[in-house]
Amino acid sequence: MAAEAVAFNKVVKTYDTFRALDELTFSIHEGELYGLIGPNGAGKTTAIKVLTGLRKASGGDAKVLGYEPQDPAVRPLVGYMPQETALYLDLSVRENLELFGGLYDIKKPALQARIKDLLEFVNLSDWADKVITDLSGGMQHRASLAAALLPKPQLLVLDEPTVGVDPELRATFWARFADMQKDGTTILITTHYMDEAMRCERVGLVNHGKLIAEGSPEALIKHAKVKTLEDAFLKLAGRGLVVPK
Amino acid sequence: MRGSHVAAIARKQFLTLRHDHRSLALMLVAPVLAMLIFGFAFGTSPKHIKVLVVNQDSGATAQNIIDKLDKDKLNLETTMDVDGAKQQVRDGKVVGVLVFPSSFTADSSPKVSISLVGGKPQPSVAPPAGAHAEVYIDTTNQQLSAVVLPELARATQQVAADAGAQSPVSYDTKYAFAKAKDARYIDYFVPGIMAFAITFFTILLTLLAFVSERTSGTMDRLRVSPATEAEIVLGNELAFGIIAAVQGSLILAVALLVYHVLLVGPLWIAVLLVILAAIDAQAIGISISAAAKRESQAVQLIPLIIFPVFLLSGIFVPVASLPGWLQPFSYLLPPTWAIDALRDVFLRGWGMDHVWVNVAVLAGFAVLFTAIAIVGLGRARS
Repeated sequence: MAAEAVAFNKVVKTYDTFRALDELTFSIHEGELYGLIGPNGAGKTTAIKVLTGLRKASGGDAKVLGYEPQDPAVRPLVGYMPQETALYLDLSVRENLELFGGLYDIKKPALQARIKDLLEFVNLSDWADKVITDLSGGMQHRASLAAALLPKPQLLVLDEPTVGVDPELRATFWARFADMQKDGTTILITTHYMDEAMRCERVGLVNHGKLIAEGSPEALIKHAKVKTLEDAFLKLAGRGLVVPK
Repeated sequence: MRGSHVAAIARKQFLTLRHDHRSLALMLVAPVLAMLIFGFAFGTSPKHIKVLVVNQDSGATAQNIIDKLDKDKLNLETTMDVDGAKQQVRDGKVVGVLVFPSSFTADSSPKVSISLVGGKPQPSVAPPAGAHAEVYIDTTNQQLSAVVLPELARATQQVAADAGAQSPVSYDTKYAFAKAKDARYIDYFVPGIMAFAITFFTILLTLLAFVSERTSGTMDRLRVSPATEAEIVLGNELAFGIIAAVQGSLILAVALLVYHVLLVGPLWIAVLLVILAAIDAQAIGISISAAAKRESQAVQLIPLIIFPVFLLSGIFVPVASLPGWLQPFSYLLPPTWAIDALRDVFLRGWGMDHVWVNVAVLAGFAVLFTAIAIVGLGRARS
């Protein structure tokens, strides 16, 4: 069995009286493409914030690449793409990438080569010197993905990366994710799109801060005796934890 | 702590300004504009105060006093209608009326009489009966009315001195700070407004910048990267320290070139004080930014900081003149220490040997507020 890149064991996160994560337990194997799906407010983004060290768990045990999530040693190993554009709007695409490349201690010649490669991948080479505010929403999303990929992370965390992205670019993104996974990168993705969830090796269905089902998409569909993953989610949402073999 | 991370975050701030012309203008033009407006509004003495003169004196004394009055301060108009002149004061059209009666010269002069003593004429001199002029004045505007009576007293003394009268009391003034013997109110005022402008604009910019970082998600991206909270805060301090030095230099240039303020002491200490005030202000800005979820909330926080600074830090009223219970609050405000030391440098010409306490306190505030800002950023992870 592969080692675990992410291990959440009964992780709790409360905001005042609201229990955003309620003993959430799931794990992601090294090199796996794992999808976290669930309705709005299910706890997906909170899980990602705990996983990336942006929030401290109120209880339970979490490990990321063998480290505590808030251990500074894990930060260079994780790439993170938030839901928002999360780039400096008054800097150009290149300046944003140079800034974050510098913070990941990528040396200048290697950084320039990496930026060139990423700009080509996200199809922004011609827009590299435009400030972010001059870009369309989709372009801003692509620039944000480029920033997340900069450090060549062992674990790539993508919080709804394809919202507002046209179908053609979504296909390009997913091809790249597949390539990265082949190269050994572990990928955690949250998504509302069930067709994207179908591309994951395993998905975790989250609701009310709990994992309500986990397994390969096909296994979940089979177990729920329905035709689509969306139907499986709707059917399984009312039950306890389900782990189809 | 990596210097390259601190430098990268500071550089980001300058790159942002290169594309964001409005913020750049706010940083560079607004403090200068504030300085010009404050300087003109508060730095000039009241002038051309309208006063009516009713001179009924049959002698020359009243006219001599009128001639000695400063015509730049007082805008004098003569009339013989006492009631009409007073009505103009009541109507708010003029600030005051001076009424010199017909006996003014006679009553202000010694009375010489000759009597026969033993059949021979013998002169005797009696002291003046005492001349009375009436001043009818509107004191609702103290700034204007407070000029009239001292100016009248000065002109009267001048006339008496010219006539050879000697006061039984005289004062021999010597100046502890000779270079500041002709210091004007604006010389006292400018160091205060310098520190205030730097504090205000630095808090405003830092607060908005940090709230914007939080709402846009860039702060999360920074905090997920290997950059530490200390590096994020210090990178911003480096940037805003440099920006404050530029702002301070511009404000100083306005003070020296437009208002010709006195600068007796070393310029570099003045610049150092301004930079320290800015570092304190930006650390305060970062710390309080945690209390705002949106830019609109951040703007609501500004008056909570700015009004105490404006009123308690000694810009207008010396801290020693404030009520005793209020003074400790003044000393909790970094600008109080900056303004105090800036005045010592500007007017008294003091160097580091005198103002080191203020510099140390400002540096202490910088360390304290920076630590609070770093801890505050870290607490966001909880």
